[in-house]
Amino acid sequence: MEELLEKIAACVDTGKIDAKSPYPPTMKGQDGADELTKQALDAGVSPADILEKGLMVGMEIVGNKFRENKVFVPQVLMSAKAMGAGMEHLKPFFASGAAERKGTFILGTVEGDLHDIGKNLVSMMVEGNGYEVIDLGTDVKAEDFIATAEKNPGSVIGLSALLTTTMGNMEKIVKTIKEKDSNIKVCIGGAPVNQEFCEKIGADSFNADPQGVVEYLNALAS
Amino acid sequence: MEIVANNIKEYCFSINDLNITIEDLEELAPMGDMIEMYRDFLNSEIQKLSSVKSIKGGYVFVEAQEAEKGKIRTNNITFDTGKLITAYLKRSSHYVFFICTAGNEVSSRSKELMNAGELVEGYFLDTLGSVMVEKAMDQIQNELNAELKKIGLSNTNRYSPGYCDWDVAEQSKLFSLFPQQFAGVTINESCLMHPVKSVSGIMGIGTDVKYNDHVCIECNSTNCIYRDKKKH
Repeated sequence: MEELLEKIAACVDTGKIDAKSPYPPTMKGQDGADELTKQALDAGVSPADILEKGLMVGMEIVGNKFRENKVFVPQVLMSAKAMGAGMEHLKPFFASGAAERKGTFILGTVEGDLHDIGKNLVSMMVEGNGYEVIDLGTDVKAEDFIATAEKNPGSVIGLSALLTTTMGNMEKIVKTIKEKDSNIKVCIGGAPVNQEFCEKIGADSFNADPQGVVEYLNALAS
Repeated sequence: MEIVANNIKEYCFSINDLNITIEDLEELAPMGDMIEMYRDFLNSEIQKLSSVKSIKGGYVFVEAQEAEKGKIRTNNITFDTGKLITAYLKRSSHYVFFICTAGNEVSSRSKELMNAGELVEGYFLDTLGSVMVEKAMDQIQNELNAELKKIGLSNTNRYSPGYCDWDVAEQSKLFSLFPQQFAGVTINESCLMHPVKSVSGIMGIGTDVKYNDHVCIECNSTNCIYRDKKKH
């Protein structure tokens, strides 16, 4: 049982989607996250254990490797895809309530900014770590974040910006959200943003990489 | 190349003119051990884009007025370029404002792949779009440089709204110097460009201006994909 979960984690870590996937070349022909997740379910492993002790472990490993510049964006995307292949088998259990998500994360790139690669990475990493992610896309206004948060009580909002000059919009959005409901947690990220800016605009958390967002959400959920 | 007006030039490129290699993509966005696996895929995608005629760009050449206190002025328009960019442009006798685009096709293809769950392939197409627009702009700049050199002038780096404290909202002023929909690029109410893979900006021209290799150290966008890249 443990061995199967370790293999699932290794598949997500290395981006091994399924048996026919040629990546990584060192695992050619071997079962991937797709087959192994199904095998684990057939063997009676609970969906929650597969998620928490298999898929999420793999995502955490790759998230840390990305933080340390040991892997690049394409490798993380491949891991996300492997994670997604495993999640397909678990979805029915989550939908039926047999397994629970850890929380809801509302994510978007702020008004005036169309950059989405970083945001998408955060989305995949957070989802891969057991959260429901509502991705509002790019060029998102404060009102849209607030309306979505109101529909999803207890959710956390994540704001992304790449342009130095859309940091002003980020500040405006944080202010509007906090004026509406100071209990809504808001975390920020993106190339020009740092801890000092986070404190200045009254956001709750700054994270330099996707794994940092996961760690912040885990701390809130615990 | 088409001369739109005395001081405006417009160029149209085919993707084959840009001589893009997978190594160009690797320089902008490292692929690690995936580079060989995706070489054929990228070459095939480049081939598919070979009939695209919307890779366009060009510039307007104008006389410089004042450049001080974080602002520059030309054609009686004041640009709040910020202290850093203004300092780099200060000794310019002329400015070149530019717009360049990779067209919409490459972004559409990227979205199509992403929506189909082909995340890595979609990401590579997105990176390809960034490389296309930069290489097209490089070609425009190289031609301009050659012309300037003949008359003893040189140019600064390219600086764009949205970076180094130059507000992206200033893009509307920049676009006012060009004919409507120049190179097929438009801006929306948030001053964001369409097609997405487009660039705009300014270069300073003069006898006493220089290209600077190390401006990235001055910028606070520490995770910028262009940071410390050789050309931008």
